[in-house]
Amino acid sequence: MAAKILIIEDEAVIRRELKILLENAMYETAALTEFQNILPQVREQSPDLILLDINLPGCSGFDLCTQIRGETDVPVVFLTSRTDSMDELNGLLKGGDDYITKPYQAPVLLARIGAVLKRVKGTQRKQTETTKFVCNGVELDLAGCMLVCGEKRADLTKAEMKILFQLFRYSGEYISRMDLIEYLWENKIFIDDNTLSVHMTRIREKLKKIGVSDLIVTKRGIGYRV
Amino acid sequence: MRMHVLEFLRDRFLLITLHLICMGILSAFLRLTGYGAANLMIVLIFWSILLCVWLSVTYIKRNKYFEEAGRILNKVDRRYLLGELLPESSRLEDRFYRDMIRRSNKSVIERIKQIETSEKEYREYIENWVHEVKAPITGISLLCENGRKLDHTSAFDMRELLRNISLENQRIENYVNMALYYARSENVYKDFIIRKTNLQEIAEDVLEKNRLLLIQNGVRAEVDCPDPAYTDGKWIAFVMDQMILNSVKYCNAQPVFLIRTRRKQDGVCLTVEDNGVGIRSEELSRIFEKGFTGSNGRTHERATGMGLYLCRKLCDKLGVRLQAESEYGRGTRMTLLFPVSNYIERESKKD
Repeated sequence: MAAKILIIEDEAVIRRELKILLENAMYETAALTEFQNILPQVREQSPDLILLDINLPGCSGFDLCTQIRGETDVPVVFLTSRTDSMDELNGLLKGGDDYITKPYQAPVLLARIGAVLKRVKGTQRKQTETTKFVCNGVELDLAGCMLVCGEKRADLTKAEMKILFQLFRYSGEYISRMDLIEYLWENKIFIDDNTLSVHMTRIREKLKKIGVSDLIVTKRGIGYRV
Repeated sequence: MRMHVLEFLRDRFLLITLHLICMGILSAFLRLTGYGAANLMIVLIFWSILLCVWLSVTYIKRNKYFEEAGRILNKVDRRYLLGELLPESSRLEDRFYRDMIRRSNKSVIERIKQIETSEKEYREYIENWVHEVKAPITGISLLCENGRKLDHTSAFDMRELLRNISLENQRIENYVNMALYYARSENVYKDFIIRKTNLQEIAEDVLEKNRLLLIQNGVRAEVDCPDPAYTDGKWIAFVMDQMILNSVKYCNAQPVFLIRTRRKQDGVCLTVEDNGVGIRSEELSRIFEKGFTGSNGRTHERATGMGLYLCRKLCDKLGVRLQAESEYGRGTRMTLLFPVSNYIERESKKD
């Protein structure tokens, strides 16, 4: 069952986009639009996790957190634009479970929400992630970090692995070089366009070694596809 | 400023009592030595008259002096200049007071001047800042405008559009951060927590955060920071952010950034190295000054002269040594030296 997240945020745009983001990440969500009597609404929703803004109209998120703590142990994650260390400390002392500052990056936010849920409930939401991708008879083994075709196999470096993962995951679609580079930067591999070409060449060589020659299709000006 | 007679007398109470006691002792003595009562009366009356005259003259003189001072005080619009305007007085105490008032006023004036300057700087900075932040805002509104006109957009163009908007948004975020840290730089002490900080993570986060700008400029970066430092992560991230932004602002074709740490005897040393345009040697010593833009700042993108100034200021407050080396045309290397105290060293060895 998906965890239910309650969003308490007065900024309409952020509330709407957060809701979409969390729903895309397979969470069940609810958002408050009325900030007068928050506590009964929280009780009614009985969420698994609360995302709480600190600057709410008429009351402070810190106080609200204390009130919520008086009733239930539901995890509370603060979302705030304040970056003060004292505020962070305050938030954690009032019973918050995490403290995320705006502007946040979506992947970071999701990862931290996941971590809090995991820590608090001792369970994680069901991971359906596979460790193997197969495309045109070539198998990408994520756990072993290698390419397998029949009996032959080739070891991959971290960067090559990430590139292939992205291509295999969206197999059939063209992925632009820009998107690939961006994906690599998000995974802490900070390369430029030329280096990407070098990696692609190496991947092709490795594919050739295990007997695959036309797995990756290049379309000039568009990108790569498997 | 007016002195009341009674107040004046109360102020001289001790003196008057002393006179009265002396009068008493004198009359007792004279009476005992057989002096006539009438004569004694004359002596006492004469004494009293003298005392009264002396008191009245003092009263009038003092009153006049203070009334004059009060009038001056009411007349001038900058009352803190009183020390300079007090009327001349022959009395030693007045001269002392005047001197002290003058000195105290001088320090007040200096303080006011200082506050006025910093307030002016702050105002100018904010004004400048608003103009700068308008550029990416305009960029975004133009992008949105143009994006709307493309009615049959492909997913590809859409991604490009979104990327450009994110890029501009990132610029806004950087400007906003800068303003926040500028406002806070005066009292850093309120807002830092020194703890063991993973520099690798911070460097990677900074690069990842600025990825759109860096990718657009074709940057390749390597991070190798295995050594932890004892400092505040948030502030160091800001400093590193400024360095990276500078490096990308003044880069050549095929920029390569290297972020590395090295363990030294007196601490951990973090270097941010680029192969950009570099800094002229004659300007190198001035890059941390407030408002200094140098020849690079004029010929390349416009510079505010605030980034490195803030870095230096924050580093000073954090006790981190900040240095710059550069070869003009070849690149720049910024070094942060995090000192390690013996205490921490000992404690960490125990663990």
